[in-house]
Amino acid sequence: MKNAPGKIVFTGSGIVCGSGSSVAEVWENLAAGKTSIAEFHWERGRVRRYEWGNEGWPCRVASEVKEDNRTLVPDRKLHKTISRKDMYGIYAAEQAIEDSGVLKCRDNMDAASREAFNDRTGLIVGSGGGNYQDNYDFFPLIYEANEEMPGFGRELNNRVTPMWLLRILPNNVLCHVGIRGQLKGTNACITNQCASSPMAVAEAASAIWNQEADRIVAVGHDSVLEPEHMLYYHNLGLLSKEVPKPFDAARSGTVFGEGGGAVVMEREEEALSRGASILGEFLGFGSTCEARGTTDLDPTGDGVMRAIKQALDDAELKPEDVGMICAHGNGTRASDLTEGLGIQSVFGSDIPPVTAFKWAYGHLIGAAGIVDLVMTLEVLKRGRVPAISSLNKVDDQLVGFPAQLKSLAPRSDVALVICRAFGGLNIVLAVRGLLG
Amino acid sequence: MSLIDKRRIAVTGIGLVTPVGNDRESTWEALLAGRSGGAQIENFDASGFSTTIGAEVKGFERENAAPCRKLLKGASRADGFALAAANEALSDAGIAPTDEDSHRWGLAVGAGMMTVDYDDLKVVYDYATEEGEFQPNGLLRQDYPADPISFCRWQSNSGLSMLTKAFGIRGYATSVHTACASGGQAIGSALKALRRGQCDRVLAGGFDSMLNPVGISGFCLLGALSTDNDNPAGASRPFDETRNGFLLGEGAGFLVLEDWDAAIEREAKIYAELGGDGNSLSCYRITDSPPDGNGPIQAIEQALADAGISAGEIDYVNAHGTSTQMNDRSECAALKAVFGDRVNDVSVSSTKSCMGHLIAAAGAVEAAVCCLAIRDSTAPVNANHQNPDPNCDVNLVIGESRALEIRAALSNSLGFGGSNSSLVFLNPERGQL
Repeated sequence: MKNAPGKIVFTGSGIVCGSGSSVAEVWENLAAGKTSIAEFHWERGRVRRYEWGNEGWPCRVASEVKEDNRTLVPDRKLHKTISRKDMYGIYAAEQAIEDSGVLKCRDNMDAASREAFNDRTGLIVGSGGGNYQDNYDFFPLIYEANEEMPGFGRELNNRVTPMWLLRILPNNVLCHVGIRGQLKGTNACITNQCASSPMAVAEAASAIWNQEADRIVAVGHDSVLEPEHMLYYHNLGLLSKEVPKPFDAARSGTVFGEGGGAVVMEREEEALSRGASILGEFLGFGSTCEARGTTDLDPTGDGVMRAIKQALDDAELKPEDVGMICAHGNGTRASDLTEGLGIQSVFGSDIPPVTAFKWAYGHLIGAAGIVDLVMTLEVLKRGRVPAISSLNKVDDQLVGFPAQLKSLAPRSDVALVICRAFGGLNIVLAVRGLLG
Repeated sequence: MSLIDKRRIAVTGIGLVTPVGNDRESTWEALLAGRSGGAQIENFDASGFSTTIGAEVKGFERENAAPCRKLLKGASRADGFALAAANEALSDAGIAPTDEDSHRWGLAVGAGMMTVDYDDLKVVYDYATEEGEFQPNGLLRQDYPADPISFCRWQSNSGLSMLTKAFGIRGYATSVHTACASGGQAIGSALKALRRGQCDRVLAGGFDSMLNPVGISGFCLLGALSTDNDNPAGASRPFDETRNGFLLGEGAGFLVLEDWDAAIEREAKIYAELGGDGNSLSCYRITDSPPDGNGPIQAIEQALADAGISAGEIDYVNAHGTSTQMNDRSECAALKAVFGDRVNDVSVSSTKSCMGHLIAAAGAVEAAVCCLAIRDSTAPVNANHQNPDPNCDVNLVIGESRALEIRAALSNSLGFGGSNSSLVFLNPERGQL
């Protein structure tokens, strides 16, 4: 990052998604070209208090997390007060903390040093925001009140759990990871729809840059596998009936996934002094907006182009320094085309290998960018950019676009991770990995 | 570690829509006079709820207040407030994004937690429930109005989408939600984007409206609201010993923040310098603040350090002061810990005594109040304070607003979930005070 007081490094990562609940497991599936997208079966009772069969539903595929919530976070009391998507954030965050060993430093500290350490340890979460089904708790009340407001008010306490508001708080992962780990420093909960989690990483870097914290856990989590979300995305023409095909001529939309991802970021100096193993370095980021409303995109890819240029400038890199790109590649017609055009306008004909992972674990919405970041660091470590396994033929409008039909070595240890969201948001993270 | 040379940031525009006024000056005038916005709720029939009172925005005609009428079609009630307040802030600053510099403009907002309001929920109820039980296949009925505009309205960054489109902002854009600390944290995010040189100007603020049947239910269930239904104007009485919960408000507040030198260069009016931002997480309980102020203390100290000033330079604190037992006590403990012997030299007031609690908008609106207090050398009154609480024995501005030269002002926002945000605003002429 420009004018940074020192390097910012990644020292731990965590992940849970349909393709696995550890980085190694997700990597194996990615490298093998195996998707976790399949027909889903709501009958398993994963959704509280209502049955949701596939009969008649226009979209029937998704990438579901296999593990039960209770296996991921074995805290029975917690399960009563928060929702499934929050569990993913807590699980990923605690996996990353464990992986980094960052909190172990506290063990031998005296009380005052421990307090000071906690105050300099931040937590920034990217959250998808609320789910529709959280509000269904009010349906029995509306019924009981004969759809009239005075009765709704009178019967409220008898029909709805007193903890309702606490269960729907968008900042639940922030509260609970914070309390469980005593991370008392700078914090935020970012609700930028699909760009929430890479923005959490960017803001974490920005806070370390501003010297507000020495180390920050950045987390993203989401699950939109619920009837209303799926129906509305379908109605907007954004959902596919099959595995998404990023940048393919025949792509027909995206598919939802669910899960969480997390990274621990610290000042390099401190990471080295405690002997941490370093996964990579945060180099810079770009953040732009297209100012065209919720779902409209700039047809030229201008927003993507500016975000990439901003990230390169922030990282003090030239386009030829970039070794690979992990694209947003959500498989929808407009997003992939404009993303490809944006990349082309920065790199010209000299584009590094481009991959995208949504064919494997679907689109994780609020968690998408950070999960891609975690896997990009792993890709660099393994020295191999996996192919987009669902890709047959690159879109004709993207002449010469190097979307990966087969696996390739990255051309350097620098990667860009691109993430896009409703509102025309584009976030680009520039990172350096440990090239394997 | 080397110290970064921090870019100075000026506040050059303010826009407000609050329960006590639909623009900046009418709000400020009401706050100085200590006029309450509390009344019986009129947006819906609240007669059955344990709390029937709130601080609603009144007589707001959003068609006249917003710049882009077409956008209003998809706007929630809170989005309408946001458009109006943001518009006022930009016209006040006398500058707006142009095609040439729109990519150097940013937006940072504290947005509410509502997923849907009652009316939209009721549509789902009508089509997809039987005897109050959700039946998903009802959503597949041919006549179910799965309106994309309604869907987009409840996306977590729908307000952001609307504002960037309305004003043509093409740079950094972010939306944060840490409950009651959202607005303050959004301004803090804007500060960092400016310091890093990612933007030259940022429109920063917050907007919220939970004054609808679903929103108010959440707080009634938690018992967080005052139930003084026969005394709406006196229901919010921060730091008074008899306080019994907060008064739910709604509205929006926006600031135009820009590079100090650029503001001087274009001879802009400068309300204040946004000096510093501090954040902490209490890690105590989800709804309560720690009684000893551990959490809020760190946020305040960090904001002071970030601004490069000592606690001794703060003359006014706009407190979070929600009028709940725990919050007010915890906040006073924090103020005493930070200011020590000097605590009685610092004037403190909570303008929630008049406006109620604007939730995600609160921090931004109160940041604006700090700037106006600096401009007019006046600390607004903490209304409705009659019975001193020994746990809250700070120097409250009671009775009437207080003439006060303010070198620096502090705005606190302490959220559900334990996020604490503090902002420091500096008087542009503080060298001469």
